Amino acid sequence: MAFNFNWSPLMADTSRARDMLTAALNKSPKPPIIVDDIIVTELNLGSTPPELEILEVGDLAEDRFRGIFKMSYTGDAFLTLKTKVQANPLNTYLSTKPDFASPQPLAAAASLTIPLQITLSDIRLSGFVILVFSKQKGLTLVFRNDPLESLKVSSTFDSIPFVRDYLQKEIEGQLRVLFMEDLPAIIHRLSLRLWSSEYEELETEQRLDNTKDTTVPIDPLSTPPQDAVDAFGNPLDPDQISALSLDDPNSEAHGSFSQKNINRLAALSESQHTLSLFTPEMREVVYRAWAGQSDRAESGANTPSLTRSSLSRIQSTFGTAKSAGSSVMSDSTGNETLNSRPSLTSNNSALAGLSLGAGRTRANQMRNRKKRVVDLRKGGDGAESSGISTGAANTPLTSANVSETASVIPEEREEELITPPRSPPRAGRKSEKTATTDGLLPAAPLLESPPKFSKSKQKTTKGVPSTPIREPDVNSASRPPLSSNRLRPARQTTSPLLRSLSFDKVTTLTSGAKKSPKSKEAAESSGGILEQAWMLKMAQEIAKKVQEHKEREAAEMDAPPAYVA
Amino acid sequence: MLDFMENVQNAFYEASHWNLDNSYGALNATARALLDFQTPKGLRLQISSLAAPNFATSYTLGTVGVVDGSVSYLYSSLPLTRELRTSSLELHHVIKGYRHLQNLRKPDEDWWWEVWHAGQRIDRRDTLLYGRIFLPQSRLEALYLRRLSPTRQLRISAVSDSNLNNGGTILTLLQNDTGKYSTEYMYSTDSALMGVRGLYNFGADPKAAPMAPITAPQIAEPVHGRFSAGAELYYGLLNKSGGLSTGLRFTTLPNHTGFPYTMTLTMNPLMGNLSSTYAVKAGPNLALCSRFDFNFYSYESELQLGCELWRRRRNTEVDWAVKKLRPDWKRPTTAPDDDVSGILKARVDQDWRIGLSWEGRIKELLFTLGASLDLKKREQIFRVVGIELQYSS
Repeated sequence: MAFNFNWSPLMADTSRARDMLTAALNKSPKPPIIVDDIIVTELNLGSTPPELEILEVGDLAEDRFRGIFKMSYTGDAFLTLKTKVQANPLNTYLSTKPDFASPQPLAAAASLTIPLQITLSDIRLSGFVILVFSKQKGLTLVFRNDPLESLKVSSTFDSIPFVRDYLQKEIEGQLRVLFMEDLPAIIHRLSLRLWSSEYEELETEQRLDNTKDTTVPIDPLSTPPQDAVDAFGNPLDPDQISALSLDDPNSEAHGSFSQKNINRLAALSESQHTLSLFTPEMREVVYRAWAGQSDRAESGANTPSLTRSSLSRIQSTFGTAKSAGSSVMSDSTGNETLNSRPSLTSNNSALAGLSLGAGRTRANQMRNRKKRVVDLRKGGDGAESSGISTGAANTPLTSANVSETASVIPEEREEELITPPRSPPRAGRKSEKTATTDGLLPAAPLLESPPKFSKSKQKTTKGVPSTPIREPDVNSASRPPLSSNRLRPARQTTSPLLRSLSFDKVTTLTSGAKKSPKSKEAAESSGGILEQAWMLKMAQEIAKKVQEHKEREAAEMDAPPAYVA
Repeated sequence: MLDFMENVQNAFYEASHWNLDNSYGALNATARALLDFQTPKGLRLQISSLAAPNFATSYTLGTVGVVDGSVSYLYSSLPLTRELRTSSLELHHVIKGYRHLQNLRKPDEDWWWEVWHAGQRIDRRDTLLYGRIFLPQSRLEALYLRRLSPTRQLRISAVSDSNLNNGGTILTLLQNDTGKYSTEYMYSTDSALMGVRGLYNFGADPKAAPMAPITAPQIAEPVHGRFSAGAELYYGLLNKSGGLSTGLRFTTLPNHTGFPYTMTLTMNPLMGNLSSTYAVKAGPNLALCSRFDFNFYSYESELQLGCELWRRRRNTEVDWAVKKLRPDWKRPTTAPDDDVSGILKARVDQDWRIGLSWEGRIKELLFTLGASLDLKKREQIFRVVGIELQYSS
C-alpha cells in the first residue's frame, strides 16, 4: 500500500496556520520574560516532506483512516516569531517571587523591553504519530512520544551566550508543549476548516453548473446533482441541493450508498439492460422508471405529464408509507422525468432517480427543518407549455397529491378567468398540466371539495415540509423558500396576498431568461420570448427522448407497478 | 492602608528606635506611596487584636474568586505602646502618604542598652517573630527581626510555598544605620542573589552634633534640607546576572519655612532607566506627586501623576473661635485625626490608567474603597474594584 503525500499545497498558504499558531502560542501562560504577545510572522513548511513509515493501519475505509506512523523529519522548514522580552533579568526574577521575601530593589529591577525576533530552523523531528481521519470528524494527529529531537534557535541575542542558551531552553520547552498538546488541536481545526471550505467550493461549482444547460448526465452516487433542477427545469437552490445531495459531510446520506446497495443497483440496471426479469430486492425504494413506463403505455403518447401523474401516484403511495414530505418526492422524481436529460430513457437515469429518491427520504428530515416549500405545479405549467402534453393525463390521483394541489388552488382560480378548466376537479395538479405549447395558459382545476381542502390544511399544520405553492413563473434559484408557516395564513385568507408572495419569489430564470415579476400577466402567460424559446427547446428534446425511450423499451411495456418494499 | 501587622512592625521599629526612612530602599518612599498605592481587590475583612503588649493576632478573610484567608501571629519581645485600636489609632500610622522626613536622630549608644543585674548583663536583644499562613494556598510567611545592636538589625524573611522553586525562599538582610549613612547586605536563597545597598546623607553628622556645645552659628543656620545619595548592587550567583542602580534625593526638613517637598532621581545605568520624582506637600491636607521615567535604550517614557487629599470635617460652630487662636497656642485635641472624614488618593498615567482609593474611619472600622480604571478600554473601564475593612481591638 502506498500513500501519495502531497506536500506542496501545504506549503502554499500558511496564513491560517500562522494565525492558529499565534493563537496557540498566546493561549498558554507565557514565561515572565516575554512581556508581549508572540506573533508568528513567517511560517514555511519547506520543500522536504517528512518521511512516514507505516507501522500499523488500524482502520481503513473510504471515509476514515486510523494508523500509526513512524515519522522523521529533517527538512528545511522554518518559523519566525516576533515578540517583546524583558531584558532585565532581575525584573523577571522578581516578578515570580513573593513580595514578602523579595529584596525589593529600588531601581535595579527597572524594566527594559526589547523587541525580539526568533527564527526556528533545522527542526529535527522523530517520533511515532497516531493519525485518525474521519470525514465527519476531521483529522486527528497525536504524537505518542516527544517528537522534537533538536532545533536551532537564532535570535536577536545570539551574541549573548546566556540569553541564547536561555532562549534555546525556553523555546524547546515550549515547542515540546506545542507538539504534544497544541499541534493536534491546530491540525484538527485546520482539517475541519479545510473540509468545509472544500465543501463550499463544491457548492459554488454547483451554483455555476446551475446556469449551464440542464442536459448533463448525472451520477448521483458520486456527486450531488450538478445541474439540479426542480420538476420544471428550474434550478434548485444550492442549499436545496445540499439538502438533497449526498455529500453533506455531516449527514449520513453518504452511508445510504453502501457497497451492497450499489451492487444491487448495478444488478438491477444490468438486468434491465438484458431483458432479464430478475429484479433484485431493494428496500424502501421507489421504482420510478416502471411507473413512468406504465403511464406511457396507457397514454400511448409518452408525455411528461403522464409520467408526472404516475409519478405522483407512486409518490403518494410512498408518502403513505413514509408520511413525510411526499411533495418532495414527487418533486424530485418529477425532476428527473421532466428535465429531459439525455439519459432519461436509459435505465440508468431511472436508477439515478431512484437513488435520488432513496437518498431524499433521508433528506426529508432536513427539509422538515428548513420548512422548504417546493413548487410543483409551476413546473407543470412549464411542461405543458412545452407542448408535449396530450391532455390525456388525467389519471386519478391519490390523496396526498390531491391535497397538495388543493392547497394551491386559490391562486389557481385566477387563471380560470383566462382559461377554462379542462380537467376534472379531482385531477388536482395534473389537471393543470393540460396546457399546450401554443401559449395557452395552463388550465386551472376547480376548487377541491371542502374536506380535501381542510385535509390539506391539516397537512400543512402537521408540518409536512413542502406544501407546494404555486409560483406563477419560473422558480428562482436564489430566493429563500417561503416557510409554510408564513404561507398558511395567507392561503387561508387572501389569494392575492399569496399571489404577491409567490410573485416575490420570481426573480430570474437561470437559463438566462429573466422575467419581470411585476405584471402578473407577463408571468402567467409564459409569454417571455426567452422562456418560450427555452420551453420549446425543452419540449423538443423531451419528445425526442421519449420517442427513443418508447422504441427502446417497447418490450417492457407492462412494467410492474411501483412498489415500496 | 497598612495591614495591621505592618503597623505593629512599624510600632516595633519605633519602640526600638530604628529609622525606617534612612535606607536606600526608602529613597523614594513618598513617590511610591502616592503613585504605587495598592487598590483593594474584592472584599476583604480583617479582624485583629493586640491582645497583650507583646502579642498580636490577625485574621483575614477575602473573596477573590473563592474565599480565602490568612491567620497571623506576632510576638515582640519589646512591649508595644503604640495605639493600635482602630477607634483611636492615628491615621497617619496606617496611611502611607507624603513622608515628611525628620531630622536625623543620633543613634543610641551601645551602653544605653546594657542592663546589669548582680554583676551580670541581663539585657536581651529586642526580637520580633511573625508568622502568617494563607489558608487555601497553604503558603507560609515567616519573619524574624532582631536588633543586634543600636545600629544594626537582622531581618530574615521566608516564604514557604509548594508552587515556588525549591519549595520556598529565604531572604536575609543585615542592616546598619549610623545616621550619617546606612548600609544593607542581603542574601536570598533563590538563585543565590546577593545584594548591597548604601545610603549616604550629606550634611552634619548627627552623632557628633549633640555632643558639641550649642554655638551661635548653628542656631542661626538650621538645616533646611537634606541631600542623600545611594546605590544598590545585586548579583545572582546562579543565573550570573545582576543589577544596579544609583539614586539621589533632596528633601526638606521640618525647619524649612516653605512647603515641604522631595525630589529624587534614580538611574539604572545597565538598563538605561532614568526616573525622577517630585513630590510636594502643598498644604496640611494635600500632597501632589509626579514621576517621569525614561529609558535611553528603548526610548520608552512614562509619566505618572498622583495626589493625596485629606478631607476634614469643618466644625462651623467653633470655626470662628479656632481662627482667633494664636498659632503658638496649644490646641487640645483628643485624637488628631478625629475630624478626618476620609483620605482620597488618586493617580493617573499617560495611558489613562487611573487608580483611586478612598480611605477613612467610620466609627470603629477602617475602610478602604478602591478602584482602578482604564479609560482606554471602553468596554471594560473598571479593572479592579474592592473594599477592605479592618477592625482591631
